[in-house]
Amino acid sequence: MMVEEHLLETSRTVRCLLGMLGTDVHSKGIRTLAQILRDAGIEVIYLGEHNSVPGMAQAVVDEDADIVGLSFSSAAYLDYTRQFIEAMRERGVGDVPVMIGGLIHPDDHAPLTDMGVAGIFGPGSTTSAIIDFVLTRGGAPR
Amino acid sequence: MSLSLPTADAVIGGDRRAAGRLITAAEAGLPGAEALVRDLYRAGGKGRIIGITGPPGAGKSTMVDRLVEILRGQGQRVAVLAVDPSSPLTGGAVLGDRVRMSGHAADGGVLIRSMAARGALGGLAHATGDAITVIDAMGFDVIIVETVGVGQSEVDILAHADVVVLLQTAHGGDGIQAVKAGILEVADIIAVNKAETPGTDRMIRALTQMVAHRTPTLEGWETPVLATEATVGRGVDAIIDAIDAFYACHSDHPQEARRRQRAQASARILALAQAVLRRRIRALAQPDVDGLLDDVVARRTDPYQAAAMLFPPD
Repeated sequence: MMVEEHLLETSRTVRCLLGMLGTDVHSKGIRTLAQILRDAGIEVIYLGEHNSVPGMAQAVVDEDADIVGLSFSSAAYLDYTRQFIEAMRERGVGDVPVMIGGLIHPDDHAPLTDMGVAGIFGPGSTTSAIIDFVLTRGGAPR
Repeated sequence: MSLSLPTADAVIGGDRRAAGRLITAAEAGLPGAEALVRDLYRAGGKGRIIGITGPPGAGKSTMVDRLVEILRGQGQRVAVLAVDPSSPLTGGAVLGDRVRMSGHAADGGVLIRSMAARGALGGLAHATGDAITVIDAMGFDVIIVETVGVGQSEVDILAHADVVVLLQTAHGGDGIQAVKAGILEVADIIAVNKAETPGTDRMIRALTQMVAHRTPTLEGWETPVLATEATVGRGVDAIIDAIDAFYACHSDHPQEARRRQRAQASARILALAQAVLRRRIRALAQPDVDGLLDDVVARRTDPYQAAAMLFPPD
C-alpha cells in the first residue's frame, strides 16, 4: 500500500543528514545505517564520504535537516566535529542535533558532549538505540 | 514539525534557511505554507526550469553535476531539486543524489535540495511544484529538477519544466521500445549517456528515427539525440546549447509556448484539486477506518462498498 494513499494519517517524517568529513573512506557503516534508518521510516539525505565542513554545514541548511549524523573511522574526529558544529552555528542551524558514530574513544565522550554533540554511538551501539535517538531528537518540535 | 514558518520576504531576500523550512512545511502540507507559496507563485516565474529524467542508473545526477558546472561558469545561479523514491513499505528513503554533486556543496551560487517522492508515482513528489515556486522566488537563474529513476509512464515533469531532457543509455531496449508511448514522446532533448558503451550508435539511430516520425514537442522544434558521457563531461556542452536553442524556439513560437504553459497550468491545477479530494476522503475515513479495513479483509464487505461508505448519502 502506498504510504501517501493510506487511509490512516501518517506521522511526521524525520529528515536525517548522514555523511563523512575529510579523507575518511570507510563508508560501509554509514551506508548500512542509511538503509536501517530508511527501514525505520526516516528520510536519509545521504552525502557519502569526502565532504568538506562548509559544504556539509550548508547542506544542513538547504535540506532543512532535523538531525545530522557524522561517521568517523579516523582519529581526527575531535577537530572535525568542533569545526562542523561551529560552521552550523555560523549558518544559524546550531539548534539541529548532531550525533556521531564510528571509532569513538570513550575518553573523548566528555569533550564531544561539551562542544555540543547530542549523541555518541561508538562500537557496540545497537541499531535500535540509534533509531530511537533519531526519531526522538529528530522528531522533536524546533 | 517545523513550527515557525518563515516570511515570504525572507525567502525572496534569498534566506536559505527560510527557504529550506518553507519547503519542509509545504511537503508536510501545513496550511500556513500554502498561503506563503501562493504569494510567492504570483511574484515568480523568472527562472528557467529544466527537467532531467531517465531510467535508474542512466547518470542523471552525474549529468546534473556537469550541467551545474557549466552554468556556474557562465555566472548563473543554479538550484537543483533532486527527487528520489520513498519506500512503499515504511515511507523512509535514502536520498543519495547529492553524493554526485558534492563539488558544488560549498558554492553560494548553488542550492541543492533533496526530496522524497512520498508515494507520488509520476516521477516527482507532490510538493515539487511548491519547492520550485519557493526556489524561483529566491531569484535563481536556473532550476534543474531531477526526477526519480523513471520507467515509461512517469511524466509529471512535463507539468513543471520548461524543457525536458531525457537521459537514456545503450541498454534502453531496441527499436520497438523507442516507439512505445510515454516518456520518450515528451522529451525535448534526448541524450544517450554512457556513450562509451557498445550499442550507443544503434540506440542513437533508433531514437533519431523515432523522433523524426513523431509530432514535435513544440512547433518548429526537432528533438536532438545527443551522445554524452557525463562522467568525463563529454557532450554536456551540446546539451546546454540544445537547451538554449529550445528557449529560442520558445520565443519564436509564442503561441506554441503559450499552449504548453496552459497545459502545464491545467496539470498543476488538476493535481492540486486531486490532493484536496484525497485529504477530504482521508478526513471522512478517520472515524471508523479500522472497522472498515477489517470488514474488507474479512470480506464482510468489498472495497467498492467501503469506498462508497466514505461518502455520506445524498
